[in-house]
Amino acid sequence: MCGIIGYVGFREARTVLLESLKRLDYRGYDSAGVAIIDKHLKTYKEVGEIANVEKKIPLLKGTTGIGHTRWATHGAVTKENAHPHLSCDKKIAIVHNGIIENYTALKEELKKKGHRFLSQTDSEVIVHLIDDVYKGNLEDALIAAIKKIKGSYAIVAVSQDEPGKIIGARNESPLVIGVGDSENFIASDITAFLKYTNRVMFLNDGELCVITTDSIQVLDRNKNHIKKKEELITWDVTDAEKSGFPHFMLKEIYDQPETVHHVLRGRISEMEEKITFPDPVEKLLKAELNSIHIVACGTSFYAGFVGKYLIEQLTNIPVFVEPASEYRYFGSRNETSLIIAITQSGETADTLAALREARLSGSKTLVITNIIGSTATRIADGYILQQSGPEIGVAATKTFTSQIMVLFLLALKIAIYQKKLGSNELYNYLLHLKYLPRHVRDVLERSDEIIAVASHLKDATSVFFIGRGINYPLSLEGALKLKEISYIHAEGFAAGELKHGPFALLTKDTPVVAIVTQDETYEKILANIGEIKARGSPVIAIAEDKDTEIENHADYVLRFPTSPHLLPCIPITVVLQLLAYHVADLRKCPIDKPRNLAKSVTVE
Amino acid sequence: MKCVILAAGEGKRMHPLTYTRPKVMLPIAGKPILEWNLLNARAAGLKEFIFIVSYKSEMVREYFGDGKPWNVTIKYVNQGKPQGTAHAIGTVEPFVNEFIVLSGDTIFGINDIKHTARKGTKIGLVQIDNPTEYGIVELKGKQVLRIHEKMDDPTSNIINAGIYHFNKHIFEYIRNTEASPRGEFEITDSINMLVTQEHMEGVFLKEWRDVVYPWHLLDANEEVLKKMKTIIQGTVEKNVTITGTIQVGKGTVIRSGSYIEGPVVIGNDSKIGPNCYLRPYITVGSHCHVGNACEVKNSIIMDHSNVPHLNYVGDSIIGQHCNLGAGTTVANLKLDKKNIAVILNGKKIDSKRRKLGMVMGDHVQTGINSAINVGTMIGNHVFIGPGAVVKGEITPKTMML
Repeated sequence: MCGIIGYVGFREARTVLLESLKRLDYRGYDSAGVAIIDKHLKTYKEVGEIANVEKKIPLLKGTTGIGHTRWATHGAVTKENAHPHLSCDKKIAIVHNGIIENYTALKEELKKKGHRFLSQTDSEVIVHLIDDVYKGNLEDALIAAIKKIKGSYAIVAVSQDEPGKIIGARNESPLVIGVGDSENFIASDITAFLKYTNRVMFLNDGELCVITTDSIQVLDRNKNHIKKKEELITWDVTDAEKSGFPHFMLKEIYDQPETVHHVLRGRISEMEEKITFPDPVEKLLKAELNSIHIVACGTSFYAGFVGKYLIEQLTNIPVFVEPASEYRYFGSRNETSLIIAITQSGETADTLAALREARLSGSKTLVITNIIGSTATRIADGYILQQSGPEIGVAATKTFTSQIMVLFLLALKIAIYQKKLGSNELYNYLLHLKYLPRHVRDVLERSDEIIAVASHLKDATSVFFIGRGINYPLSLEGALKLKEISYIHAEGFAAGELKHGPFALLTKDTPVVAIVTQDETYEKILANIGEIKARGSPVIAIAEDKDTEIENHADYVLRFPTSPHLLPCIPITVVLQLLAYHVADLRKCPIDKPRNLAKSVTVE
Repeated sequence: MKCVILAAGEGKRMHPLTYTRPKVMLPIAGKPILEWNLLNARAAGLKEFIFIVSYKSEMVREYFGDGKPWNVTIKYVNQGKPQGTAHAIGTVEPFVNEFIVLSGDTIFGINDIKHTARKGTKIGLVQIDNPTEYGIVELKGKQVLRIHEKMDDPTSNIINAGIYHFNKHIFEYIRNTEASPRGEFEITDSINMLVTQEHMEGVFLKEWRDVVYPWHLLDANEEVLKKMKTIIQGTVEKNVTITGTIQVGKGTVIRSGSYIEGPVVIGNDSKIGPNCYLRPYITVGSHCHVGNACEVKNSIIMDHSNVPHLNYVGDSIIGQHCNLGAGTTVANLKLDKKNIAVILNGKKIDSKRRKLGMVMGDHVQTGINSAINVGTMIGNHVFIGPGAVVKGEITPKTMML
């Protein structure tokens, strides 16, 4: 996830671009850059926060320019890898957000034609593709370029030979036009330019636009004009950082169709039935594995617990999940086990300590994290980025689902290496993984039903969550979400364990949330619900769309779309997140900053 | 000569009316303040306008468009985050040479605009009784020596009226202007630099109507209504009594038994009566209803609002899309007959009026027999339940039961 902005108008582009980038820095902030046409095309970029670039830019008068704030996915955090990227003659500049899947092949081809590459990014191929066919008309060149690109992108480009004009194109990465007076904007997100205009046009996938001071043309790939309606944004500027959502947590829950998709980008191809990870990771997975240990803290620990079920079900390799703070002192370790550490920030102190311990004992280590260049990525033998973009709400949401997705891909990849998965089976999983963003969106669209159920939970003093199999760790996560933001006491249990103790706590004032999937334990969990009902406790079932039986057992039913075995864990998580959020909201809790908690725990 | 109108401000002191509209769109006698300035400036011979907008700019743009219905051209510049008057004026640099600047929230007279537009750098001045809230202008003959910020103990009663005539030089001074203690760039600071280098003439204005607090709209409304001529385009039924001047818009019907003492202005497609009593200085908007057994005096009722049955509304302002329940009445005079204090944005202010009812934001509904005390400020989207008694300041989107 990166943030991009383009401006053409009457104001000094320097000021507008820097202000906008500061608004976009939630999308990434490991490096930033701008390119401004001030007679010549002038480019400035720096590693670190936007202020670092600001210091480097002289007071240019130019009124056309583009800018970028980066969240590294391909290539390390360096000045060369920061955007904008330039053509060989330094006359064309582009910024890009997304992932170009076929960049290696394109790069080779372009190198053969004499193009010189300065960075390790996938993005740089775009500017050389444009340069390759540029004959004084930027939109024609961009159309030719995007016809060769495979992947997701939002691109904004300028050319020194066409001052006063910026070009944009979008496919699966956000891009929106801000319609001003004698000026126009284009950015990843409305917040970038909301200060200057609240009139916007949303680009759809496959569309391009040509923007000047006083005109906006939207085109398709065949240069046909597309009529666009101007829409009016009515949020307050103060709401804008949250894209109009009342809390970052809700915004981040609603980011999930995008992040769940993003984690797959460049990694799976259902046509070729392939899953690809970076080479060091592939090497770790290919090796003989006797056991896997997953170490993590908090929500990441529960993601790991979900991972245990995914990996064991698909590969039959035993998986042990341990809190990092326990593993580092007491965990067993040997040379044939793989240690997978999960840490969103890459800086969680306990997880880092566990990783170091594991390395010392000769185990192979793999990290799943959101932050490139973080300490964890430097300690481990290999790392996988979850690519969820920054998360600001203290309660982890989109990073949890992305971690599960990474674990899912890992489980599938190990299964492929172990020859545990038939080609049909693999194809089926890959295909349905691609449907997940749509399923998440389905759940989000039904939030009214969740709010209705939340009103029944808001006055409870204690709530239990139960599930079997993979739904067990989900019930733990559901309870964690509820307790950390709503301050209601909540516990998750394996449904079969309820009878062995916790039953004593059930009263008619103890709601129980039961996660029900139509797998081999379906009858069992219905029986559990019956036992709970017999004690008078209200039961909220989270069940599949096609499950028509459940109404006869539970008091309230929340639905998620039916999909094959193991996959529903993502939409179920979203239901649990929304439930916790709305209960906390009804109780008027400080959702983004719960008491006593910090986003990233960097002390042991 | 271009005419730049400062129309970016929210006008927080105009809450609750400006929660839902920019200050320049507040109506006086059925027209936004900005339109009065546009009309006066046009009458003074100006044809090319630049509106500097920001807060809820879409409302300004939607109402005025490109200016064709007024036979003028309007260009918009979005100030972005408001950072003071100097910053606002600085944004139009690419579009002007010689130009006039008007504060959009003050109504200026035709002749005064004409005079200010004459050759040379100028600033409009007025003499007022209580100048503590304004910038004081120090003069030597007609030449401006300095503008002093708000003074607790003013050295004169000549104040900066908010109308200027500048040339390109001003932008150089704006660029060198430093932020004020409250972090804004003030044009008065730029002018203080200008007057050390160049001549600036002070022009005393003959007409000047500044609106700061919502109740000032009632004064401005009264002033404009006094000059109105009678125009009746709607229908007046039999047995309606009208004294004084009245304007009735197209499609409006005044039903039998209504008793109207002008001056009163009623917009289009409204229903008045039967059997109501309208007293002087009322502006009723379009698509409104003032029904049976209602008495209204010295008030502004904006579009799509109803005072439908058994209501008394005096010295009050009602926003758009409001509905009063049967029997809702508004007090407008304290029993001790003293000045009415108002709570606005949490601060107590002396309105300096003995008579003041309520100021009601948009989309407010009241229940039957609710009572609203003197000087009540009601936010937008407020719901007042049946029989409720309300006073003070009510924040937007609340329920008063």
